[in-house]
Amino acid sequence: MSERTAIYLKDRKAGKLVEATLIDGVTRDEIENAEAAWKPFLEEQLKRMQAQGIPKERWPQHRHWDWRQKQEATEQYLAYRMFGIECQLQMQGLMLVLTAGRHCRIESHKGKPLAYIHFLAAAPWNLPGILAEPRFGLVGSILLATAIHLSLEEEFQGRIGLHSLPQADEWYRNSCGMSDLGCDPAVQNLRYFEMTPEQASEFLKVR
Amino acid sequence: MQQLVTPSRKTMTLNLTEAEMKALDELSATKDISKTAVLRQALRLYQMVEARIARGEKLFFEHDVTKQKAELMVL
Repeated sequence: MSERTAIYLKDRKAGKLVEATLIDGVTRDEIENAEAAWKPFLEEQLKRMQAQGIPKERWPQHRHWDWRQKQEATEQYLAYRMFGIECQLQMQGLMLVLTAGRHCRIESHKGKPLAYIHFLAAAPWNLPGILAEPRFGLVGSILLATAIHLSLEEEFQGRIGLHSLPQADEWYRNSCGMSDLGCDPAVQNLRYFEMTPEQASEFLKVR
Repeated sequence: MQQLVTPSRKTMTLNLTEAEMKALDELSATKDISKTAVLRQALRLYQMVEARIARGEKLFFEHDVTKQKAELMVL
């Protein structure tokens, strides 16, 4: 079942907050509409980047993610929750969270359950790495705050964890204040980040 | 940001043996979550395990150091 909550995104061009909707339980139709808008836009931008000789290291590292496939693979499970942010009739970001079977690695909370963010992405037109002037801001922050709220709802006290793509390492470490626990050979050597209840509380306080 | 909307919930009475209640108490204390939250976690994991076994997959545990794998029997 899908729940919708009113939120605000930052319209970067207008420099003001605009109404948006946080969707808890994104439907298959909503995912298909998102993919139908995201994919052609992304392909167009990748062609432009290639034509301009921008090295592949700077292309979005999550460009191969297939949200339709992720939704189909997880929709029947209670343990997974799919969230989305809709604004001006388009999906502006998506996040898939696992709420069972993952535990803290940070020593002070070792073995305690956490909400694990499997995937989090903003729509391609909101990525500063692609466009000089992305459309909406706060998409990533709101999705991360949503994962913290989910963790609180699950009695995990705000603890969250995730494996980051290299392009996002700096954002999770410095902007979000998560603990960097280093490269994880079990998950493509991606860096693993965690947020303690204290860090989660701080993150929510400043946003 | 507003908090998430909590889905409506239903209440049930659970009958457990003393040993089962002890295990539940211990998990609740270790994980620092309520007994309801422990059972919710257990249900989610059990549902996922059952669905994957029904698809012909197997559940293994791997030792962190030796990398030795042992199949978990799910009844």
